[in-house]
Amino acid sequence: MSNLDTLKAKIKERLPDLDMVVGWEQGFDPLRATPLFMRTEEDVDRLIWNPLCVHNLATYLPGLKGRKVGVVVKGCDSRSIIELLQEKLINRDDIVVFSMPCEGVVSVRKIQNRIGSLDYVESVEADTGTVKVTVDGSSQSFGFPDVAASKCGRCQYHTALLSDEFVGEPNNEKAEDDYSDVTSFEARPQEERLAFWMTEMQRCIQCYACRNACPLCVCRDHCVAQSRDPHWMTQENSTQNKWFFQVIHAMHLAGRCTECGECERACPVGIPLLLLKRKLNKEIEELFDYKAGTLIDSTPPLQAFKVEEDNINERGW
Amino acid sequence: MAVKFLAKDNLVPWLAELAETHRTIVPKREGEAVVFRPFAKEEAPELSARPTESPKSAIFPQCDTLMSFRYTKDEEDPGKVLLDLREMKDESPAVVVGCRSCDAAGFNTFDRVYMTDKITDQNYRARRENTLFVTIICEKPATTCFCNWVGGSPTDTSGADVRMTPLEDGWVLESITEKGEPLLSSTLLKDGDDRAGDAEKIRQQAKERMPEAPDLSEAPGKVLALFENNDFWEAESAKCISCGACTYLCPTCYCFNITDESSGMEGVRLRTWDNCMSHQFTMEASGHNPRPTKAHRLKNRVGHKFSYYPNIHDGNISCVGCGRCIKSCPVSVDIRSIVLHAIAAPAETEK
Amino acid sequence: MSANTGSELKIVGFLCNWCSYGGADTAGVGRFQQPTDLRIIRVPCSGRIDPLFVLKSLFNGADGVLVSGCHPRDCHYAEGNFYARRRLEVLKRFLPILGIDERRFEYTWVSASEGQKWKTVVQTFTERIHELGPAPKLDQCLMERAQAMAMAV
Repeated sequence: MSNLDTLKAKIKERLPDLDMVVGWEQGFDPLRATPLFMRTEEDVDRLIWNPLCVHNLATYLPGLKGRKVGVVVKGCDSRSIIELLQEKLINRDDIVVFSMPCEGVVSVRKIQNRIGSLDYVESVEADTGTVKVTVDGSSQSFGFPDVAASKCGRCQYHTALLSDEFVGEPNNEKAEDDYSDVTSFEARPQEERLAFWMTEMQRCIQCYACRNACPLCVCRDHCVAQSRDPHWMTQENSTQNKWFFQVIHAMHLAGRCTECGECERACPVGIPLLLLKRKLNKEIEELFDYKAGTLIDSTPPLQAFKVEEDNINERGW
Repeated sequence: MAVKFLAKDNLVPWLAELAETHRTIVPKREGEAVVFRPFAKEEAPELSARPTESPKSAIFPQCDTLMSFRYTKDEEDPGKVLLDLREMKDESPAVVVGCRSCDAAGFNTFDRVYMTDKITDQNYRARRENTLFVTIICEKPATTCFCNWVGGSPTDTSGADVRMTPLEDGWVLESITEKGEPLLSSTLLKDGDDRAGDAEKIRQQAKERMPEAPDLSEAPGKVLALFENNDFWEAESAKCISCGACTYLCPTCYCFNITDESSGMEGVRLRTWDNCMSHQFTMEASGHNPRPTKAHRLKNRVGHKFSYYPNIHDGNISCVGCGRCIKSCPVSVDIRSIVLHAIAAPAETEK
Repeated sequence: MSANTGSELKIVGFLCNWCSYGGADTAGVGRFQQPTDLRIIRVPCSGRIDPLFVLKSLFNGADGVLVSGCHPRDCHYAEGNFYARRRLEVLKRFLPILGIDERRFEYTWVSASEGQKWKTVVQTFTERIHELGPAPKLDQCLMERAQAMAMAV
């Protein structure tokens, strides 16, 4: 029995006590997976687990609070669940976490950049060695690391940090994360950094997919972006206004973001939003030695303090 | 009808000529997206990849200033406040070059709402009547394309003033409307009669490449019949994350919001795109919300396009099948399958 | 109080009611000469300051933002400034990635009795902002320059 079959069996076993289990199934083309809400055994048969399962399904949990929900997670997704539990946004007793060791997921965008257009994908064979995409009758193969999501290259959590049903051998490999993306961006001249965000944010369409895909953007229908009172944002579509929203998003996630990268993945116009959150995480790790969503009983650093801070110098004049 | 041939090398000079007299809007690659932007000198437009966004903003900008206002105190009479109000209307001639047939056809959906016998939206009309569309045919359907399900085709001319058909060494341009003819008067365009046959072949091929379309004639009735069926809509919308990507990329979504943004003694009245996936869309001042869940909201989006709108507009479905909502959805919600599920759903028995 | 001479820059100050606002008052009562670029907004406590106040100021045309509260361990509400300290430090370190000069933002602690210190703070910070000059306005002009730059890269 393959791991996936074992997982399906486990889900079927637990399903009678649950309202639903959230996993993935094949989507509208061979490259796209899509979230699957399993309520019956037939639904479970459609479950897939492969490098195309890019979505962080923990995003659905706060919206399903009060119901008994099972959720299939990758290692990184489990961090979001821990963070949600820590902030008491979901109840531990109401959720059942299913997981398997994850060897990484693809970046659909990186594949698009390599093959030009995703409009004509005919078949995809993806494993953690190579990804073979057939478009218009001709196939192209890519090494998995070249088209894997960037977060997978620095993964420290192949194995879920929290799970009720774990299938397979835990993988405890930890890659280095030196935040080189952040430091190399910051090495550019200041004017260039400002210009970068202005040009990137110009094409933002204000759809708020970044926000809605984020597992920790839990204000949902009551976001300040659409509030008239307080009036943080105007209805204008000026670049300044649109960019300010991203700054709000990043600040509201300071010390909470688990770097699942859903904001960036969900963006229909490909704005590299994770960079802002990575920067905050880098600083927070340096200041408070804290990584969001790794320890269930810790407190997010900006909701706590120390009388004598270890790494903040008193600012004297 | 004029038929002309535009050689590859002449595309940018031709656009530069158009830009002298028209706001010329073309698809352009920006980062990982293809968006519509004013033609910039010497810059070739992106005509091969399908644009990420629709050209909707050419006529219906995401944020349109309807008027600006300023209050001033009357120096003679301190009790009196003077109001200076300026209406804005954009009647500058414009041309969109390189959008797809379906994109241009999207504005027909707008016209039935904003330019009727009884009511006309003046700001919409000002731009609509002064904007021309040079569409480009789709040689091969994407996996997300379904224009032929909803009455379109990859070579459709229903929204076009000029149609471009790509050949190896350039494009064949035919004027579709009278208004489009002057666009073809440039000396950069050669007579295209000898290439018309080649173009026709390509168009024929394009149509043949479309997979067969299911019959949607039952959709308006079937979708409406499911109005009270919350289970159906909850199941269909379970994975929806209620963002506005589908709506804002859609060439036919025409809803808007109006707000005043003022600071001190002056301000502007803005019309901005609104999106029915958002909780606030139907939020009433009392705090009541008739569409409290995403199931209600997705029902509205699908229902509006495939049932409510055709029911009052001679059966015209308010979707052109461009597939952007499928392709760009962060969780791959597929509107085609929702409609097909609705058609296949068993009729509810009378209670 | 000097009138705006045109060479003034816009500096926004968020001051806690109990210490720094008092400190600024003390400086005023002591008739210490101070630069007049600073516009003060009084808040109940430095813990009340959402880092977004600072960011919104910077996004909307402030050339500098100064936050000042009670010294740590001296908060009127016992621990408000302990939270503020963490937030403000994170904010200060966040600015570079945005392409905003982090020197345009500073936070400090001034008590109600430290009139002289307040004067020094205002003077030093204002001088620093004048050295940096006006902040780039996030407007259409900048947008066009940004695009030209993106094309060149």
